[in-house]
Order: sequence, then C-alpha cells, then structure tokens
Amino acid sequence: MVGYLVFLTISTALFALFALGLNLQWGFTGLINFGHVAFMTVGAYTTVLLSSQGVPLVIAVIIGAAIASLLGLAIGMSTLRLREDYLAIITIGVSELLRLIALNEEWLTKGAFGVQRYPLPLAGFEPNLIGKIIMIGLLTFIAIFTVWQLWRGMRNRWREGKSIKGKSIQPRKRIGLIIWSVIALALILTVYVNGVIAISNYYNYKVGLMLIVLLVLTAIYWGLELLVHSPWGRVLKSIREDEEIPRALGKNVFWYKLQALMLGGAIAGIAGAFYAWQLTSVYPANFEPLVTFNAWTIVVLGGAGNNAGTLLGAVIFWAYDVLTREYLPYLGILNPTQLGPLRIMVIGLILMLLMVWRPQGILGKKEELTLGR
Amino acid sequence: MSQDKSPRFLLSANELSKSFGGIKAVNNAKISVNRGSITGLIGPNGAGKTTLFNLLSNFIRPDRGEVIFDGKPIHHLQSYQIAQQGCIRTFQVARVLSKLSVLENMLLATQKQTGENFFRVWFQQKSVRQEERENKERAMAILESVGLIEKAHDYAGALSGGQRKLLEMARTLMTNPKLILLDEPAAGVNPTLIERICKHILTWNQQGISFLIIEHNMDVIMSLCHHVWVLAEGTNLADGTPQEIQNNPQVLEAYLGD
Repeated sequence: MVGYLVFLTISTALFALFALGLNLQWGFTGLINFGHVAFMTVGAYTTVLLSSQGVPLVIAVIIGAAIASLLGLAIGMSTLRLREDYLAIITIGVSELLRLIALNEEWLTKGAFGVQRYPLPLAGFEPNLIGKIIMIGLLTFIAIFTVWQLWRGMRNRWREGKSIKGKSIQPRKRIGLIIWSVIALALILTVYVNGVIAISNYYNYKVGLMLIVLLVLTAIYWGLELLVHSPWGRVLKSIREDEEIPRALGKNVFWYKLQALMLGGAIAGIAGAFYAWQLTSVYPANFEPLVTFNAWTIVVLGGAGNNAGTLLGAVIFWAYDVLTREYLPYLGILNPTQLGPLRIMVIGLILMLLMVWRPQGILGKKEELTLGR
Repeated sequence: MSQDKSPRFLLSANELSKSFGGIKAVNNAKISVNRGSITGLIGPNGAGKTTLFNLLSNFIRPDRGEVIFDGKPIHHLQSYQIAQQGCIRTFQVARVLSKLSVLENMLLATQKQTGENFFRVWFQQKSVRQEERENKERAMAILESVGLIEKAHDYAGALSGGQRKLLEMARTLMTNPKLILLDEPAAGVNPTLIERICKHILTWNQQGISFLIIEHNMDVIMSLCHHVWVLAEGTNLADGTPQEIQNNPQVLEAYLGD
C-alpha cells in the first residue's frame, strides 16, 4: 500500500508538471498545442540517452529541457504567425513525427525495443539516519509550502465571495470552499504521512524519486506562480484574449508566444525525464498522442489559466484512473477488454458534463468565460 | 511644444497605397500631423480612413509609400516597434481586455517594464514589485482624471461602450505617447460623454501629446482640430483648417453625393 501510494504520488506529480507546461501555453497564452507529448519525448530520450553515455543526470536533464525548448522555438518560428488552428494541426503532427523517429531510428533510440538500464537518480543510495531525517525535513517543507498555498488561495476565494454582493448562491459557495479545503488537507496529509513512512521504513529507489519530483514540482509551481502574476504574465493573458491590443501597445507578441511555447516545452521536457525514470525503460509507445490529451483533460478539468487548478486536475485524473482500474473489475459486470475503453469513455463524459455545468473548470473563473468582448 | 531642431511634422506619410484584390483601398494618399497639433481625418464611409490608420501603424503593410515619424522612417518597422516609438493607435470599436481588470488593462500599457522579462521576474523580484507599485499609482491617477477610478478593480468587460472608449484612451496615455491615433472616439457615445472626451483630448494636447483623429461627428472635428484632411475613395480630396473644409464645395459634394 505504501509503495503503491508512492507510485501514485510520482505519477500525479509528473503529470501535474507536464500539464503545468501546457497550462502556460494554452491556459495563459491561448496557444492550442495538441502535440505537448513531443516535448516530453525529447526530454525523456535526451535524458536517458545522454546519461547512458555517462553524462551526469542533472546536466542530462538540463540539456533535455533545453532541447525541448528549442523544439518549441522551431515549432513557433514556423507556425506562430499562422492562426491558432493551424498551430494545433502542426503540433499534433510534430509529436507523431517525433514518436515515429524514436520508433525507426534504431541506431539512436533502439526503436521498438526501447531503452533500458539507464542511470536513475539516487539509484544506489541507501540513506542512513541523518539522510532520512533530511529527507523527511524536505518533505515537511513541501507539505508546509503546499498548505500555505492552499490557505492563501482559499482566503482569496473567501474574500472574493464577500465582495460580490446580492447573489443567492454565495452561502453554498462557502460551504463548497470548506469542503474543498478539508479534502485537499486530507490529501496533503495522506501523501505526507505515507511519504514519511516510506522514507523511514520502506526506502527504495522510488521513494527518492518521489521526493525529487515533489521538490521540482514545488519549485516550478512557485516559479510559474510568480510569472503569471507578473507583468510578463499579464502580457500573456492579453495575448490570449486579443493579441491586437498588446501589439498596439508596443508588445512584441510573437516573441512572447515563443517564450511561452519554449518555457512550457522545457517544463514538459523535465516531466519527460521523470516519466522515463519512473518507467525505468522507455519505448516509443509511451509517447502516443493520448498522453497529450491526458494533459488536456487535466488542464480543462482544473480550470485553464490556473496553476493550482492544474495540480487539482492531476490529482483527480489519477484518483479516477486508480479507482476505476482497481475497483471496477469487482463489480463483475464487464470483462477487462470492455473496461478499458469504458474508463476512457467516462472521462469524455465527465468532460462533456463539465463543459455544460462548469465550463471554466473546477478552479477557473467564471467571469473569464461569460464576459464578451 | 516647440523643439527647435526637430522638423515641423511629427508624422508625415507620402504616396501610401494599398490594394485588396482589385480594390484600391488607399491610393497615393498623403497626410501629415504637425507637432503638438490635433489633426482631423474625415471622409465618407468607405473612404479608406481606417485602412490609412492601419497602414500608418503597420497593422497592414502598405504596398507602397513612406511614413516618417519624429524624423525617422517607420514604415519598415513592426507595428509593436512603431508603438514603442510613441505612436499609439486605438481601434474603431473600442477594444479592451474584458477578462482583465480595468487596472490591469492600464498596467499592460506601461512601456519598458522590468517585469516583462521572465528572468527578471525571478531574480529581481524587489525592483519588479517596486516598479509595479509606482505604475499602479500612475494608472490610478490617470483613471481618476477620466473618472473611472471606482471601476479600477472591475473586469473591463463590465464597462459600458462609452467607458470602454475612455479606458482605451486612458490606456494609450499610460504608454507616454507622442502621438495618439484615435479612430472615431465619439462613435456610439452619448453627448455628455462626447463632451467629456473632447475635454480630455484638449487637456492631453496641452500636455504636449499630438492627436490624429478620425471622426464623423463634425462638431467634434470643428471644435478640436487645428487642421483637417479629407479622404475620398482612398485619395486626398482636400486639406485645410476646419473653416476652409466646411466651405469647400468638393468636400460637400463627396459627402452628399452627386
């Protein structure tokens, strides 16, 4: 159980990271990127291939992220002057192209056989007591940071509720806030306690990986939060809404779009490295377009243009995945070959219902959809 | 604003042409704006006034012609670079970022912000925050002068049409412009607000900002402008003081038809 929760935490965190990149591109800048997995492919393969050649892991990841952002530059230079729908088509093409290259260029990627036995972070590391205490300390720091962020977000929502007067839905909204906070707190506590138990009693490679991915996620989340609330983020949001306005006000819209594409790509590249480390062997089949759409599901579910929403979306996505995978078979109504497609169909249904009742996503702002030009 | 060394014209354009397919929207047009003046641009519907604006600000690339702003040619620059030089345009239908607050709309317009570079957002947090505070104060002062201060924290999408026009003008002011190109500032605005808008334009003009205004409301043109250009079917029909234009038989004919 402890090991399983560790696995889940890693999956959630790395998909949250992956989706945060997409959220920067689509949620904040309005760039429709249907090939986000391309950045992950580049990040994953670069990291494992370089580290297999003896390049230190940290440097391999940085190079992977850099190449992923260069891919963003290349896509952007060639397509961003086109309208957004064309960008969507080009990106999905690029992601498939990269997967096929990985499949066919066997001298580089070993093709369908996949890359195995590459170096993993903290692989042979056996922490002594002090090491374990440091690790628990780091985990505690992350937990406190998360709770602090939660507190800040909830406090803002609470105040928002106060300033909008004369609306009957308000009391329900507050109860909703409290329920959400309790669920989120319970979740943080579960992951934290499980993490502490795993570090102190069941330490293995995956536990170390969990700690690293959580640290990286925290750092990147914080960096993105700073960015989207800065003048830089304001320009991105203005591009999302009507790019003629920032252009008329002297902003280099094209360059900002490129930056968003590159930065989002670099983040996805880092997520790719963690993806590879979690799988411990990478195959081209790991990078099918479905992965992109998982990220889209996460971003849409949580609310586009909201980083906390993306984290929440990732949690819900993986919770759904695990619950249906583990418990649906017990119902005994459907056989396993029917269950797989059903689970994906239900995701589609959830998204459709969400679009009907809460098109802004769980944490999105309703005003951002209802206000016309 | 008299600067000895600088040329008389803040903006001058010659032989501007643009065709869309077989239609010559702007054909060999010329226009100039004196330093510190309010210049009008009038003409019947479809005369190519807005197209001319788009050519001046390079939102549409001209087929031919040159545009000189503040002594430097700008027709080869990107539209955002033209804006950075201090030549800011507005739109015929007021364009605001409805999903951002009124204050954020204003702040966006500030030029050369430290926080527009993402490395500096991370590594010079203090100066970014300091600058943001100063810009906020300036934005609030401008909003107060145009009477939008109570709306500062509302979504811009919640503003009325007239208020959007005001916000759009206030926003251009945030950029510290030399010249503002106003596309129909009085269109669809109630008479009281038109008066207010005119008063603001005069005040800002006294502070040294030049204006080029497209407008159909002749009262506005006559009361504000020092010089008026008339465009018809993409070419220059006449130019002169408002009085001269008013009494020009060609202009009357163009407006009233054959």
